Amino acid sequence: MNRLQTLIVALVTLPSLAWSAPPGAEVRTPQVRAELVAQAPEGVAPGKPLMLGLLIEHQPGWHTYWKNPGDSGLPTRLTWKLPEGVTAGPIEWPTPGKLPLGPLLNYGYDGRLLLPVSVQVPANFAAESLDVKLSAEWLVCKDVCIPEQGEFQIQIPARAATAAHAQLFADASAARPRPLASAEGTATVSATWLDLRVTGLPAEWRGRPVAFFPETPGVIQNAAEPQAHWEGPVWFARVLLDPQRSESPTSLPAVFTTSGETAGASLPLTVQGAWPAIGAASPLPAVQPGETLPPVDPAPPMGLPLAILFAVLGGMLLNLMPCVFPVLSLKVIGFARHSAQRGQLLAGGLAYTAGVVLSFVALAALMLALRAGGEQLGWGFQLQSPWVVSALAALFTLIGLNLAGLFEIGSLLPDRLATLQARHPMVDSALTGVLAVAVAAPCTAPLMGASLGLAVTLPEPQALTIFAALGLGMALPYLAASAWPALARALPRPGPWMVTFKGLMAFPMFATVVWLVWVLGQQVGIDGAAALLGMLVALAFVVWAVGAPGRSRRTRAILGPAGAILLALALSWAAPALRQDALAAAVPSTEAWQPWSSERVAEAVAAGRPVFVDFTAAWCVTCQYNKRSTLSKEEVMADFRARNVLLLRADWTRRDVAISNELSRLGRTGVPVYALFAPGTGQPRLLNEILSVAEVRDALAALP
Amino acid sequence: MKSLLAPLILLAAAGGTNAWASASVGQPAPAFSASDTAGRAVSLADFRGRHVVLEWVNPGCPYVRKHYDSGNMQATQRSATAQGVVWLAVNSTSPDHRDHLAPARMAGWMQGHGAVASSTLMDEDGAIGRAYGARTTPHMYVIDPQGTLVYAGAIDSKPTANAADIATATNHVKEALAETLAGKAVSTPVTRPYGCSVKYGSAG
Repeated sequence: MNRLQTLIVALVTLPSLAWSAPPGAEVRTPQVRAELVAQAPEGVAPGKPLMLGLLIEHQPGWHTYWKNPGDSGLPTRLTWKLPEGVTAGPIEWPTPGKLPLGPLLNYGYDGRLLLPVSVQVPANFAAESLDVKLSAEWLVCKDVCIPEQGEFQIQIPARAATAAHAQLFADASAARPRPLASAEGTATVSATWLDLRVTGLPAEWRGRPVAFFPETPGVIQNAAEPQAHWEGPVWFARVLLDPQRSESPTSLPAVFTTSGETAGASLPLTVQGAWPAIGAASPLPAVQPGETLPPVDPAPPMGLPLAILFAVLGGMLLNLMPCVFPVLSLKVIGFARHSAQRGQLLAGGLAYTAGVVLSFVALAALMLALRAGGEQLGWGFQLQSPWVVSALAALFTLIGLNLAGLFEIGSLLPDRLATLQARHPMVDSALTGVLAVAVAAPCTAPLMGASLGLAVTLPEPQALTIFAALGLGMALPYLAASAWPALARALPRPGPWMVTFKGLMAFPMFATVVWLVWVLGQQVGIDGAAALLGMLVALAFVVWAVGAPGRSRRTRAILGPAGAILLALALSWAAPALRQDALAAAVPSTEAWQPWSSERVAEAVAAGRPVFVDFTAAWCVTCQYNKRSTLSKEEVMADFRARNVLLLRADWTRRDVAISNELSRLGRTGVPVYALFAPGTGQPRLLNEILSVAEVRDALAALP
Repeated sequence: MKSLLAPLILLAAAGGTNAWASASVGQPAPAFSASDTAGRAVSLADFRGRHVVLEWVNPGCPYVRKHYDSGNMQATQRSATAQGVVWLAVNSTSPDHRDHLAPARMAGWMQGHGAVASSTLMDEDGAIGRAYGARTTPHMYVIDPQGTLVYAGAIDSKPTANAADIATATNHVKEALAETLAGKAVSTPVTRPYGCSVKYGSAG
């Protein structure tokens, strides 16, 4: 073996030799430096104070855990090996801190930490020194967790003072929660929460926020801030129980602290009332009667017949919704045209009904298919795609241009199809029905919310039935008018006024296009809106070129291809601007309103602040109406300010999984939804979809 | 109209679930759909009528490796699936976390360890994890054929990172499965899970 080899062998074996060497006082890992330390200012003898401790110095960002580690993590464990008769007590945990981690909350320590234990020496102790061995296990976490362990060993001279870490021990002692002799506390169990009542906390804490740390793990929802308040010297708090609670203690030892205190106060809370059985079907914690909602009779699940009835009613109300209006005007033209022929009128009504019902069923089937495919979609989703919005804008432009007389359908379609349409007005009526549904769907009428919420949770056949009932309800007024000639005859007789009326009807169509362009602008920005408008101009040119009345065959032959080329160019220019990601997800928010997130709601509610959430979308006319009327009234805003309500807006204009999830949690599949969260509750009070000033103010006045 | 609508809206509200209340044992297990590592859609609803085990997994977590390197998790999976139980491993690690594995690598890791989970689900937005209140990897759930959650908690009774402890620990999942497969109530329906925190996205 030459010298180099010897050197290499030595270098390789040296660290492993160091490993197998007897443990010392210190263990270093990349995350912590841990050291076994002692405090024996008067040496080691019976009756003299003796403390041992594990000092853990965390690297920045790393932490270890308290005796109750919270949602994850594990408490540090110390296993002592001491001479016969010498006993070490439990860890005297310093007051912990809260360590939030995403939706989880842990209790623990960072920075420099000493975990002290006090040691009892037997009366017959006479050795020269005390040999201390410690096996310690700790879990150290940052964004990742590393379980570590260390073996430690020190020797403490019995006849000399050991006080090198006196300050450390003094600091640890100062940070230890103090038992409060005069304090008393109870924790009263209910189905889903604990009501804490504590008297005798330090007087200077009064009125300040108090943090609560239960020493028993597995009881409360750590991440949910307690809803707490002071009444004179008494501190009250409502703490939500962990839905996966594993413990049912008879006493709940806990630590309380407030900001600026080195040490908290420790107090065993007496548990009153019986714990709900673990794993027993406990009542749904959703609604807390008399708490967040006005008292209601115990709500039986909505039965199918009832749901169908409400679906029919909801469908009828749909006719009154602003976004159905343009199509209603189409229908009025239809009545006027056919009022002379009763049989035809009824047939048209039936065809319209079939069109509406089939569209609803088709939409429901599509939604169910998407639901099965795991898509987080809700009612109204069709207007969340820029392509669908563009297509609808094109459709309404065409209808408008047609009504305005720019072109005629007959001259645009091949002769055979045009005569087929003329011969079968039922096909016309059915298509009108389909169109009505496409536009009406996003405007969830008040009753649709409940029916749809139920339908989405139902097995497919029942869900389809309910959607069909909605369609039937929507078509019913039209059907009734076509069946009852008296109703139809009340309409003016056909005459030259119809041309004027037809032209007039073009304007609601164009207004609808304005709205759709605005929706698209919300989705993809001003470039996208301009692209759509450009495309509409090209489209208008094409139909004018080909379909204008009195156009000669030769002119058509020249203009037709030109129009086609123009349209193709416009499409290729517009297409890139219509991609949905063209606009960053910036939520336009006015000063008073802030973007919604479930965490913000949770935080504010936990902090004792009421929250009002406006679930809205640019394409939802009802939403915009409410926003510009009730929600912009000064008296409503003043009430919001007076009660310090956090105003959040959840904008569903584009697809958003978090908002879809929240809507389905609230039992809804569409917007608008107005939710008022009282402090400390998870389940909001839902307000009417056509929001009135009085309703909002009443709801605010009813806040606790 | 308002008087007619109010009860309905309340009805709809009553159908919702509490924002912070995650799944509870004894209650219906939250429905979910997700893509597995092969991109196939998997829904809990697909397994109505069968027992289902959910296992939260993150190969970057030492506690997960404790149960995989020792073969304990695979043995538990084998014994469960041999009895017709559906085993869904769920990875809720956010893509912006260093522990995140792309679906193909996740599948490779499972295969490399001889895992016999029926499917490994990619829950990158943490939606399933939040719905179930999954806190740690591993965190285990057992769902009965009626879709009721009958067990939630730890894989076993010894919350350590030391694989040597497995031999002397009680495997809560095996126990719960044995009881529920025999048509009995699970005697220990909830335990405290232990392990690394689930690496949810910072977005919350």
